[in-house]
Amino acid sequence: MDKGRVTYCTDLEKSVIISNFERRGWIQVGPDDEWNFYWSFTQNCRNIFSIENGYRMSDNQIINHFPNHYELSRKDLLVKNIKRYRKELEREGNPLSEKTEIMLPNGQAVTRYLHLDFIPVTYVLPADYNMFVEEYRKSPQSTWIMKPCGKSQGAGIFLINKLSKLKKWSREAKTPLHPQISSKESYVISRYIDNPLLIGGKKFDLRLYVLVTSFRPLKAYLFQHGFCRFCTVKYDTSVTELDNMYVHLTNVSVQKHGGDYNNLHGGKMSIQNFRLYLEGTRGRSVTEKLFADMHWLIVHSLKAVAPVMANDRHCFECYGYDIIIDKTLKPWLVEVNASPSLQSTTHNDRILKYKLIDNIVSVVVPPDGIPDARWNKIPSNEALGDFDVLIDEELIEKDEAPLRGNKFNRYRS
Amino acid sequence: MENIKEETIHHTAMKLAEEIKNLSIYKSFYSDVQKLVSSPSVKKEDFKQTLQQAMKEKGLDTKLRNTVFHWVRTQNKQNKLDPLTSLSKASAQWEKRIHKSLNSMCSDLETSLAKIRSQSEQEELADKWNELSTYSLDLSKYRPVYAPKDFLDVLLTLSGYVPFTKEDEPKWEFAHLPLQVKTLDQLRKIYQEWANGEPLLGVNPNMPSTVPGFATLEAERIGLGERVAVLGYAPVIQEYLKKGSPQCLRAKLWSQVLGADVKQQQIIYFNQLKKNVLEVDLMIDKLIFKDVQLTASNDDQYFVFEDLLYQVMLCFSRDGEAARAAGASALRVAVKGRHAPDCLIAFPPSGVIPFHGFTMYATPFCYLYDDPVQLYFMFRAFYMRYWHRLHYISTHPQGIVSLCLLYERLLEANEPLLWIHFRNININPIRVVFKWLMRAFSGHLPPDQLLLLWDAILGYDCLEILPLLALAILSFRKENIFQVNTLQNVDAVLADLSTISVIPLLQLALMKS
Repeated sequence: MDKGRVTYCTDLEKSVIISNFERRGWIQVGPDDEWNFYWSFTQNCRNIFSIENGYRMSDNQIINHFPNHYELSRKDLLVKNIKRYRKELEREGNPLSEKTEIMLPNGQAVTRYLHLDFIPVTYVLPADYNMFVEEYRKSPQSTWIMKPCGKSQGAGIFLINKLSKLKKWSREAKTPLHPQISSKESYVISRYIDNPLLIGGKKFDLRLYVLVTSFRPLKAYLFQHGFCRFCTVKYDTSVTELDNMYVHLTNVSVQKHGGDYNNLHGGKMSIQNFRLYLEGTRGRSVTEKLFADMHWLIVHSLKAVAPVMANDRHCFECYGYDIIIDKTLKPWLVEVNASPSLQSTTHNDRILKYKLIDNIVSVVVPPDGIPDARWNKIPSNEALGDFDVLIDEELIEKDEAPLRGNKFNRYRS
Repeated sequence: MENIKEETIHHTAMKLAEEIKNLSIYKSFYSDVQKLVSSPSVKKEDFKQTLQQAMKEKGLDTKLRNTVFHWVRTQNKQNKLDPLTSLSKASAQWEKRIHKSLNSMCSDLETSLAKIRSQSEQEELADKWNELSTYSLDLSKYRPVYAPKDFLDVLLTLSGYVPFTKEDEPKWEFAHLPLQVKTLDQLRKIYQEWANGEPLLGVNPNMPSTVPGFATLEAERIGLGERVAVLGYAPVIQEYLKKGSPQCLRAKLWSQVLGADVKQQQIIYFNQLKKNVLEVDLMIDKLIFKDVQLTASNDDQYFVFEDLLYQVMLCFSRDGEAARAAGASALRVAVKGRHAPDCLIAFPPSGVIPFHGFTMYATPFCYLYDDPVQLYFMFRAFYMRYWHRLHYISTHPQGIVSLCLLYERLLEANEPLLWIHFRNININPIRVVFKWLMRAFSGHLPPDQLLLLWDAILGYDCLEILPLLALAILSFRKENIFQVNTLQNVDAVLADLSTISVIPLLQLALMKS
């Protein structure tokens, strides 16, 4: 194949994507034509892989989603996979699954995983309703957050701090919380992180970009440029604020319509500045530990879904990881997005997203510039751009993990 | 000869001993010494020796040394009458203009410069003190009193503009002023460590260390820095800062070198300032709110910290100690609602009328301190030692006028082609860098680079690095500057400094090629 005849197809008509392809001299074609690189919507990707379709991709075609990415991106399946992963490690007697006793603020002792406690206690509703109630009764003063499994951008999310409120919601939503009756719309209910780390008195969450080019062996790359998304209104724990979604939720889509949203900075602070701030005010070792914990969290969430992901060689995927950090500097995984927004809210944002796409392409396309599902998926240091190797199981296996980029040597065991 | 020297030292020591008694730390220091004397470690038979030894062990020795260090530094700053009358005249005129502008703004808006706050307003302000970004004020009719551009225009008139000049003679050069500034070679002698090519933290923290036991330069600097921090002796810290400080140690080292540690006394002082803010409404408060909103709140590096900044800037305006540094003549106004005899106050007590961007002098400290009191005293210490020089007209060698002249001279001597280019396109070269100098690059460089630059200001205790950096940046981007010929386009070339590595650029300029 000739480098000058690489074709691309994109479902998303955004300049931040298209300019990256045009810059490489690629030619745009439609989804029914012979494309080499497809930046698709998740639905279209699923269609391509569906059995009825009968579409077989050639060796020179790669696509930006795994067919069953929802194992990671649907809140209920993510939780299910992580719980399964932890149980398996426990059965194997793996030291990673070590457990410990934690004292809740109300004096109650609960058991948690020592190394793998990175998702807040979560239950799927209506299926796990009874288990949820049992847990809820251990600390009845706690707040829980309800999220619909299939929605995104903060839609349909609300907080409850009384069991009666949950019952009220289920009555109003006409969804009986009876385990036997399954409902199309399932929800996850998680222990709300009510002691988030605040900066300047404001709550935030972190968005990190993780590129995965293979699940078995696991090859994942972390983009150096992430950001903190800040609430536009001051954080307030009084009960009356529970209904004010501009205070608690940090999704940009919700924040954008709050009165104090600012277009110059979009409420976003770079992760480099966050690190600078933390190191300056709290010191180096706790900062390094936090970042190490976040990388650990990402790797294990990927390992958790690796066994069930369709590890098609034509696929790669860039995930948006949403993480919240609590006052003790412990990171919690909130959600994984398989289609992180490429919309730009500010000038800096546009630059970041442009760079992100550019580096994704240079990582997933082999050195000769022609998309190929058969290549060895070992990008050069230069091709990595602003990505760092988070984990490359193939290289670890060969004991060839590169010095640059793979700073995360904890995964060698 | 020796005798005279000894006598001078003796004389200074006597003066110092007297003045120390007036310092605020004296009382607690003296009582600490008294406690030591009554302890078993101090013996009557060998009083001097044992007392000195005991003081060393308890850290009182270091405390005393630091006090002397800080006292000596402030002595050099005594404000003498400004020898250059044209400058002092211009300075007085400028201040008069600012005061006039304030007064007319005040009468236009039909408010008072100073008035007692109503009880309800006091309560609301106190309530929202930690989140003043939610305190709603109608600021639409308020405008900053002046901006860096306006100040520059005033400075440009200082050059002794001669109305009858030849066609090609520039009318704006600072070189017309009879002020002495250094050459690049002289700067090299000051920034000796840099000029010698010694390893600096801001160049490559990961480079291998030459000291056994440390893998990288960064690890070496952290190791050394921790020991220096424990020792707590200010001049040693200052020396250490010359080669850059790791971010994790900066907060401690900076406050030690400037003597800005926060103890109970400082907390009480800050709370008193806060009380003053709550009780008396100064029109300046609206200008402060406006400035924070226009600058920090819109900046993606600093918007998060806006609530801290409101507190710091408001309290600063009430701080009479800041007035000592600038030596400015403050306006005296009547407080509406107060009766004689104490109805007149300095407006504002700090003597500083904030201009557009004034908040940026404080913003970078937000990356080091999350406690407002610590943030406050650090900012104030920097202001009183350095920043006030950047917005007052004086002949001081570190003042903004001298810095502009230094920049001009450096540019002409070391980048003659650029100098000529500016002449040809009829742009005063100071125009494209002035805002960097006046703000000490705050808001123009990303915080990590800025903090490295400010390490150097502290380490060498001088601001001359600012015009040097301006020159280095221009030199770095000169090819692009040659391609353009309007002020707008030159500004565009220099607008984005986010990719500039400050320390390597500076070291390159200082090392002889």
